[in-house]
Amino acid sequence: MSERGTKSYFELLLPPKRETRLKPCTAYGGTLCGLRGGGAACLDTADRAFTQGSICLLLPAIGTISSLPNTAVLMHGAIGCGSSMHASTASMRSGSLVRRGAAVDSLWFSTAMNESDVISGGEQKLERALVEIDGRYAPRTIVVVSGCVPGVTGDDVEGVIARVQPSLSARVLPVHCEGFRTKIWATAYDAYYHAFGRYLFEAPPGAPPPDQARAQRTVNLLNVSSMGRVDELELERLLKLLDLEVNVFPVFADPERMYEVTRAGLSISTCPTHDDYLLTHLEERYGIPSVLRHMPIGIGNTGSWLRDVAARVGREAQAREIVAREEAELRFALERFRPVLEGKTVLVSAGEYRALATATLLSELGLRILAVRTFHHDEFAETEYETLAARAGADLTLNVANCQPFEEANLIRRLKPDVFLGHYAGNATASKLGVATHTIYNVGLNYVGYKGAYELAGRLYRQLKNPAFNRRLAAHAALPYRKGWYASEPFAYIRNQGEAEGAGRT
Amino acid sequence: MPAERSYIERPRYSCALSGAMTTVSALPRGVPILHAAPGCAGNTTWTQMGGGALQVGGYCGALTVPGTNVGENDVVFGGERRLREELEHTFEVIDGDIFVVVTGCVPAMIGDDVRSVVNEFHDARHAVVVADTGGFKGNSYYGYDLVLEALFRQYVRPEVAKVARRVNLWGVVPSWDVFWRGNLAELRGLLRSLGLEVNAFFTQDDSARAIREAASASLNIVVSDVYGVRPAEIFRELHGTDFLQIPMPIGPAASAEFLETVGERAGVTRRRIAAAVKRQTRAYFGYIETLADCFADMDLQRYAVVIGDANYATAVPRFLVEDLGWLPELVVYTDLLEDEAKAALARRHERIAEPLRPKVVFETDSEQIVRHFRELVPEGDGDRYQRRFSPAFVVGSSLDRRFAATIGAAHLSVSFPVANRAVLDRGYAGFSGSLRLVEDLLSSIVAGR
Repeated sequence: MSERGTKSYFELLLPPKRETRLKPCTAYGGTLCGLRGGGAACLDTADRAFTQGSICLLLPAIGTISSLPNTAVLMHGAIGCGSSMHASTASMRSGSLVRRGAAVDSLWFSTAMNESDVISGGEQKLERALVEIDGRYAPRTIVVVSGCVPGVTGDDVEGVIARVQPSLSARVLPVHCEGFRTKIWATAYDAYYHAFGRYLFEAPPGAPPPDQARAQRTVNLLNVSSMGRVDELELERLLKLLDLEVNVFPVFADPERMYEVTRAGLSISTCPTHDDYLLTHLEERYGIPSVLRHMPIGIGNTGSWLRDVAARVGREAQAREIVAREEAELRFALERFRPVLEGKTVLVSAGEYRALATATLLSELGLRILAVRTFHHDEFAETEYETLAARAGADLTLNVANCQPFEEANLIRRLKPDVFLGHYAGNATASKLGVATHTIYNVGLNYVGYKGAYELAGRLYRQLKNPAFNRRLAAHAALPYRKGWYASEPFAYIRNQGEAEGAGRT
Repeated sequence: MPAERSYIERPRYSCALSGAMTTVSALPRGVPILHAAPGCAGNTTWTQMGGGALQVGGYCGALTVPGTNVGENDVVFGGERRLREELEHTFEVIDGDIFVVVTGCVPAMIGDDVRSVVNEFHDARHAVVVADTGGFKGNSYYGYDLVLEALFRQYVRPEVAKVARRVNLWGVVPSWDVFWRGNLAELRGLLRSLGLEVNAFFTQDDSARAIREAASASLNIVVSDVYGVRPAEIFRELHGTDFLQIPMPIGPAASAEFLETVGERAGVTRRRIAAAVKRQTRAYFGYIETLADCFADMDLQRYAVVIGDANYATAVPRFLVEDLGWLPELVVYTDLLEDEAKAALARRHERIAEPLRPKVVFETDSEQIVRHFRELVPEGDGDRYQRRFSPAFVVGSSLDRRFAATIGAAHLSVSFPVANRAVLDRGYAGFSGSLRLVEDLLSSIVAGR
C-alpha cells in the first residue's frame, strides 16, 4: 500500500473509506480454493438480497477510544448512537484494573441530536457541549465521534472544533463514524488512526527530546483492543526475549503521550486488517519501518511473526532458538488435550485475519476445519489463506459475511461441526443449534502467542468435555428461520458474486 | 428533551429505534425489521451485552433481526427499493407472528415512504406493522411507546366486544427494565389473584392472537407515570377502553394498594380483594419474620439514595420507607423527562410524610449526582459529632458504583445499565418480588461476611 502520489491520506480532512482504498468484498459463499489467486470470485460489488443486523464502524471505534485515559468521548449524533459504550465500559474497567490497578468507568457524552437539530444541524449544540464538558468535567482530551445524523445534515465538525479549541483546556479531535458511509467496519481503525495522526503525534512543548538509543530498541506493538492485557503480556514476553522494549499502541494509550509512537525503531502489527493505514503513515512520515504480515495466533504463525520481527532487528538466530524452544515446550504441554481435540470438527467465524489465523491454530491442535466465515475479504489476507489451505485443504467452505447469522445457521445444520468459534455477540446461533461454542475474541482471555495456543486448547477441552448447556438449549429453543430456509442453498441470497473455479455457487 | 441541554452524560438508554427493536423482539414470536443504517442492530446488541444484566436478543433479536443496512447509495437515491427487496425475502427466510418495520435516523431523514412500501406486503398471510422510530425522536423508552402505538393502530383488531375482567397491562419496558420478565410475571400474578384475565403482551403466557384481540379488554392498566401512558391514551381513543395509571408496586404496602385500586376499578368484589391482600400479605411476612433477629442484631437499617428510571425511582423509595423501614433521603430520576412528567413523579413522593419524605431531583448526568447529595449532606470536616449519612446504601445502576464508593455506601444495580448482575426471571414487583429485593439488598451488605 502506498499513499496517493506525494500526498498522504493524513493530509486529507477525512480518511478514504476502505471501499475506495482496498476494494474489499463482504459477500461470498464457496470454497477457500475459489478465493485464492487474487480473490477473483470475491468482488466488491457482491452483496445480498436479504440481510440481517450488522455493526458499523462506530462500535469498534469507540471500543478503542473509550479506553484512552483522561479522555471524554463525545458522541455527536442521535441519542442512541454509541450506547454500546455500556459494553465498552466493562472492557475499560477490567482493562484499567489489570493495567493500572483500578477499575475506571469510561467517561462519555451524547449531543443527543433531536428533531429540531436534524432540521437546523448540530453545530451549535456541539460547540456548546464542548465548552460545557470542558468546563464541568475537565478531561485532558475530548474525542468527538460523529454518527449518521451529522453526516446527513452535513455538520462541519472540524470547523466547530477549530473555532472552539482556543478557548478550551482539553485537546479536541474528531473521529468520523457515519455508519451509512461504509459497509467495512474495519474503516473504524483508519478513522481514529487518522485523527490520532493529525492531532496527537506532534510532541507537545516540554516533552522530553527523542532518545535515539532508546528508540532503536523500542518497538510499537499495535493493539486496537482486539487483545486484552494477557495477550499483550505474552507478546511482550516474546519481544523481550529479543531484547526489545515494547510500546503498546493505541489501546489504553494516554493521548498526551501518543507522540511516543513516532519515536520507535519498528512498528509491529498484530493484525494487517487493523493496522496498514497507520503503519504506512509511520513509515512515510516518520521513517519507522514496520512488520505487517502475520497475526501471532497459531503455533506456526507466532513463529513467523516473531521471525519477521527478528529479521528487521538482525536477531534471526536468536529468534530461531526461541521458536524452537517455545514450540517444543508447547507441543509437550498440548499432549494432554490431544485425545479430546483430535479429529473434532469446527466452524470458525470472525474478522478475516482472526478467523483464518484461529482456524490455522485449531488445525494445529488436531481439529478438522469444516468452514471459515469472515466479516470481509481484502488483499492483505492472501498469505493467511495460503497458510490455512496448506494445512486444512483448499476445499473447505468459505463464507464472507458481515455477520448474517442466517447463512451461519444453514451452514451449521449442513456441516454439523462439533464446535463453533464465533465473535462477540455471534455465538448464540450455534448455541441454539446445540453445537459446543467458544468465543473467538474476549479481552479477558489469552489467545495469542504460545501461551494463547495452550490456553485456547484448554478452553476448548473444557467446552467439549461438557457441552450440555447448548445441547439442552437446542432441544428447547428455536431459531426464527423457516424450515424451507434450511433446505435452501446457504448462499442463495448472495448476488453479483464473481465466477471462479470451485466457487461452488449454485 | 429540554432544549437548553447541549449534551447528556452517559445516557442510561439508547434511542427510539433501539427501544423499538428490543420491544418487538420481546413480543411473542415478534420480528423487528430494521430499515436503518448498518450499525443500529449492532449498537443495540452491544448495549444489551453491556447493560442488560446478561440478557441479549430473544426469539428474533440482536444481530438476527432482518435489516436493510442502508448505505450511501440509499441516502442519495432513497432506500425504498432496498426495503421492498428486504421485506420480500424476510418472509421467505424468517418465521414469525408479528412483523414490525422500525425505522432509523437515516431513512427518516431522507424521507423514505416506508408505509406505502410496507402496504404492498400487508396481506392475509402476514400483518406488517410500521413504527416510525427515527433514533433522533427520543430514547429507548419512547421507542417502546411508539411500538405499542403502532400495534394499537395497525395490528389490534378494532370493534371487538369487551370482555369483563379482561385487562391489558403496560408500563414495564422490556430489556431497559432488566427485570421486565419477572416484573410482568409478578404483576400478572397479582391481577390473577383478583380473578382478572391479563394480556401483558411480552410474557411467555402471551400470544400474538391475544394481542390481536387486545381491544376486548375492559380496562387497561399502566404501571408507570411515563412509559406506556401515551399509547394507553391512543388505545382509549381507538378502541374505547379506559386506563388506570398506577405506579409499579413493590412491597406489601404498595401491592395491597394496587390490588385495592385495580380491583375496585375492575369491579372485583371487596371481599375478593380483601382476601387476595390478606393471603399475600401473610405470605410476605411469613418469610420476613425469620429475618427479625439478624435485621436487628446486624443493624441492617440503612440511609439510602435511590437512582433510577421513572418506575424504579418511584417504587423503590416507597418500599424502603413503608415496608423495610429504611431512610431513602435522596431520589434521583435519570430519565429525560418533560416538566409535566417531572411534576407527576415528584407528587408520588408526597404521600410519604415528613420527616421521611425524600428529596427528589431530576438529573441525567451521573457525575452530578454527588453534587445533589452534598447539598443534602455536606462533606464532613472531621468533627466527631457531625451529621453522618451512614450506614448507607445506593440503589441505582452499575454507573453509580463510583458514587456509592465516594459516600461509603453499599450498592445494588437495579435500573439500566445493570452490567454487574445476571438477571433472568427475577422481578421486584408485587409481594414476592419485594422479597427478592430484600434478599439482594441484604446480600450485598453481608457478602463479605
